[in-house]
Amino acid sequence: MIEVSNLVKQYGDHYAVDHLSFTVEEGEVLGFLVPNGAGKSTTMNIITGYISATEGTVTINGHDILDEPEEAKKCMGYLPEIPPVYPEMTVKEYLNFVAEIKGVKKEDRFDDVMNAMEMTKITNYQNRLIRHLSKGYRQRTGIAGAMIGNPDIIILDEPTVGLDPSQIIEVRDLIRSLAKDHTIILSSHIMQEISAVCDRVLIINKGKMIVNDSIKDLSKKMSGSNRLELKLKADAEEAKQMLLAIDEVESVDVVSKEDGIIDLHVYSQDTDVREKVFLACAATKTPIYGMSLIEMTLEEIFIKLIANMEKEKEEA
Amino acid sequence: MLAVYKKELRSYFTSMIGFVFIALFLVVVGIYFTSYNLVAGYANFDYVLQSIGLLFIILIPTVTMRMIAEETKSKTDQLLYTSPLTIEKIVLGKYLAVYTLFLIVVAIICFYPLILGQFGVIDYPLAYANIFGFALMGAAYMAIGMFISSTTENQMIAAVLSFLVFLITYLMSYIVQVVPGDHLSAWIIFSVVNLLIAVVLYTSLKNINVALIFAGVVEVILTVIYVIKPSFYDGAVVKFLNWFSLFERYKAFGLGIIDFGSVIYYLSLVFLFWFLTVQTIKKRRWN
Repeated sequence: MIEVSNLVKQYGDHYAVDHLSFTVEEGEVLGFLVPNGAGKSTTMNIITGYISATEGTVTINGHDILDEPEEAKKCMGYLPEIPPVYPEMTVKEYLNFVAEIKGVKKEDRFDDVMNAMEMTKITNYQNRLIRHLSKGYRQRTGIAGAMIGNPDIIILDEPTVGLDPSQIIEVRDLIRSLAKDHTIILSSHIMQEISAVCDRVLIINKGKMIVNDSIKDLSKKMSGSNRLELKLKADAEEAKQMLLAIDEVESVDVVSKEDGIIDLHVYSQDTDVREKVFLACAATKTPIYGMSLIEMTLEEIFIKLIANMEKEKEEA
Repeated sequence: MLAVYKKELRSYFTSMIGFVFIALFLVVVGIYFTSYNLVAGYANFDYVLQSIGLLFIILIPTVTMRMIAEETKSKTDQLLYTSPLTIEKIVLGKYLAVYTLFLIVVAIICFYPLILGQFGVIDYPLAYANIFGFALMGAAYMAIGMFISSTTENQMIAAVLSFLVFLITYLMSYIVQVVPGDHLSAWIIFSVVNLLIAVVLYTSLKNINVALIFAGVVEVILTVIYVIKPSFYDGAVVKFLNWFSLFERYKAFGLGIIDFGSVIYYLSLVFLFWFLTVQTIKKRRWN
């Protein structure tokens, strides 16, 4: 479990992290969704004890990262933005070195390294010099390094950056399989990635937390702009009147008309209006060709949230 | 710590730096050995080690420049500092690895007096006292080099800076000879040093009050001493400057004297710069 409270990191007058507080429960996968330069790596570096915070505390499984750094660091595996690999070592040498500095017992070392290499699918590359590996394999070696010693908590800073699409899928699968018995913090500025593997998402902009919610709640919360895509066989005007007669419907846009079939976007506040739309159509005997509820994607939510924040700032 | 030590040592020998360092060192020693002992026929091996000073201060930075700076630059330090190892142990491991390189050189040098012994009478205690002193001086210089490497992430800057600092310590025994001896100059020199320390304090603590108070108090003490007991300044500057002359202390070993004070002096320098390196790394995390 990770408890971060009131974290501040100040560089001169600039706040890289601005009073950040959150908790990651055991077994949870938390996604950091952060634009570049918004304090993501700084936060991760503070959690892992690489740099120190100006204010605030970080507690890892009950151990304060500043007061009991050794105990706290033992519970963590960290993959920084740039994989901290030594080019002059082979993959196996590197992982053995990581196992040694993490204090893995000598008799467990071999199994631990083998297991990490297998999970990241680099066993065939174990005797290659890291210098000669591609970016994707270096990244995997870094992830394998973070897994060594089987820490409770694994922190991955942009694990899929620089990988090709098939590698991205492999890494995501790996994270999902790790998620079964690890607590994971994962950062990315790619929304699909977060929604694909995380339970909860933390959105940070300019060091401040904007959102800390489960993925489901988040899209629900943003359902102020829930949109129903509707395909009807009807006259556009009549259909519009009929739909607006439903209380919860706020507005209706006609997107296209073709051979008597119309595409509509129905906007509603907070509620799912599919049932009511169906009943209204049934009552007027309007055939429904298609209907689907579109929840906002993380991307849309993200852009909207940032825009909202900017607006509030301007008003203030 | 052992893990870091092994890793460092291995990297010296996989990246050739280790071999090149040892080879160059032995070439330098070999040239002097050949010309003094073999060609000119001196029986004193200490002449060799006492003469290679300038080359010595060029060679040391070639291995110490990368010690901390390289990892800072390539960000592999993130692995080390987020591991359960303490920074004290990491730095110690790195230091011992680089010193092992130097000890390999020293171990090979130990055979040279034995070679000379084949041709005549050799004062072995003198020769080995010299090598012992040489090993100690190397330890101190390597610690200073490591500290300088921790202050920058650019290896070239670390190398040049180390060389400059080493050069000043090397030339210190000459600088001392031209320092004016009167009380007023001594007072001025100490005041300037005091000012410099205050500036360093300010840049590292970012606290103008602490720096000012420190400088003020020390300045008052210096002035009071100057007024009340000016004889305190007799030879004080020379004594003070000699503190920075690592080679001056080594010269005693050249006479076959193992001065306990000098041994402590070199070892305290090693400890001091190990400590400063740890502090520099820790401080960087706070910035």
